Amino acid sequence: MHPTETAINDYVDGTSDPFERNAVETHLATCEVCRQMVDDLQEIKRVTGTLELREPPVRAWGRIERAIKLEQAEKQGAHPFFGASDWRKKATTPYWLAAAAAVFLAALVGLRYLPGRGPAGNSADGVETSASASRAADAIESELRLAESHYENAIKGLEAAAQSDQDALDPRTAATLQKNLAVIDQAISESRAAMRAQPASEPAKQSLIENFKTKIALLQDTVALINEMRKGNEAGAARIVSGLKQKG
Amino acid sequence: MSPEDLIARCQAGDVEAFETLYQQHAARLYTLACRMAGSPEDGEDLLQEIFLQAYRKLGSFKGDSAIGTWLYRLALNHCLDYVRSRQAKMNKLTETLDADTSFQPTARRETPIARLDLERAVERLPEGCREAFVLHDVEGFDHKEVGKLLGIAEGTSKSQVFKARMKLRSLLLGDR
Repeated sequence: MHPTETAINDYVDGTSDPFERNAVETHLATCEVCRQMVDDLQEIKRVTGTLELREPPVRAWGRIERAIKLEQAEKQGAHPFFGASDWRKKATTPYWLAAAAAVFLAALVGLRYLPGRGPAGNSADGVETSASASRAADAIESELRLAESHYENAIKGLEAAAQSDQDALDPRTAATLQKNLAVIDQAISESRAAMRAQPASEPAKQSLIENFKTKIALLQDTVALINEMRKGNEAGAARIVSGLKQKG
Repeated sequence: MSPEDLIARCQAGDVEAFETLYQQHAARLYTLACRMAGSPEDGEDLLQEIFLQAYRKLGSFKGDSAIGTWLYRLALNHCLDYVRSRQAKMNKLTETLDADTSFQPTARRETPIARLDLERAVERLPEGCREAFVLHDVEGFDHKEVGKLLGIAEGTSKSQVFKARMKLRSLLLGDR
């Protein structure tokens, strides 16, 4: 008879008492199936012990910083990025891109977490009337249009920054960004076509939202890259560029 | 700048100092969040929430423990809240795993398991056993502590970790 799950687990963890350990080892000596399993589990445990830390994306700090500044501004009644007195003047600099991206992000993140939109929000019995499906499709279309409007504003801002700040991005990086944007735009266009063909299709909706999210990530990376270059942080900029190239 | 000075500046609302604190601890907390949530996207969202919460609560940090320990605890609690809320929403249990965890005799493995493959396989573990596995095998909590953290019995923690390991075996080494 094979050892119990608990006995195997304790043996792999090295927490069996001597009697149990002896019993398992006696069994392993004659049972290739269990020997193989124990070998595999010990190997998984060994590799688990070597797992390394993962570095968060460079944009992650930017998101946190913006959220903190928004909170501070709400408390103080000031503009979140440029303070109380001169933010209108400074808003002509590309730093406002961070705000544009944040607004864009908020719109799309809102879209992602709208009640009833994600998999968790599906009706339990899976039954929907055609009228409610149609209303849902209209609502989705309307929200997507709203998101798209924010999206276009953010794009315009990025294009303006690219024109006024051409030295900030080297031509190869700019080309990589353009290439990535073109790929994502194509994917968005295809998802949109799928949505038009099947307005109530959950996979089409998810695909469109995922493509929007991918575009947000790229825009955030771009904003982070411009900010790092403005700060003269070459290491930070290099990390972002490296990430962009991997995506390209 | 000493750690005490850094914390004092953070507590005074200095965002630049807080960025330094973030740079020192982000990787550890992001790694925990990704593994507990099962995806880097959710891990990034969690990381943002964790550091926002830390920024708000830093005033209550008295220095009774190291700041890293305080942040880790805060992050862990946040991840556990997230996991509980998601489980409540999805009402998803791991009984279906039973079919995957039976003994599978086959040929001996030829190549060692790569860390990256294991990392990806952990993301694919079903909820319930993934959290128990991460807390026990990766974070080093014993089953009693895991049980307490996840609100399950110690024996359930053992069982979930075993299921996770068997599922990983199946994911990494194929049907054997």
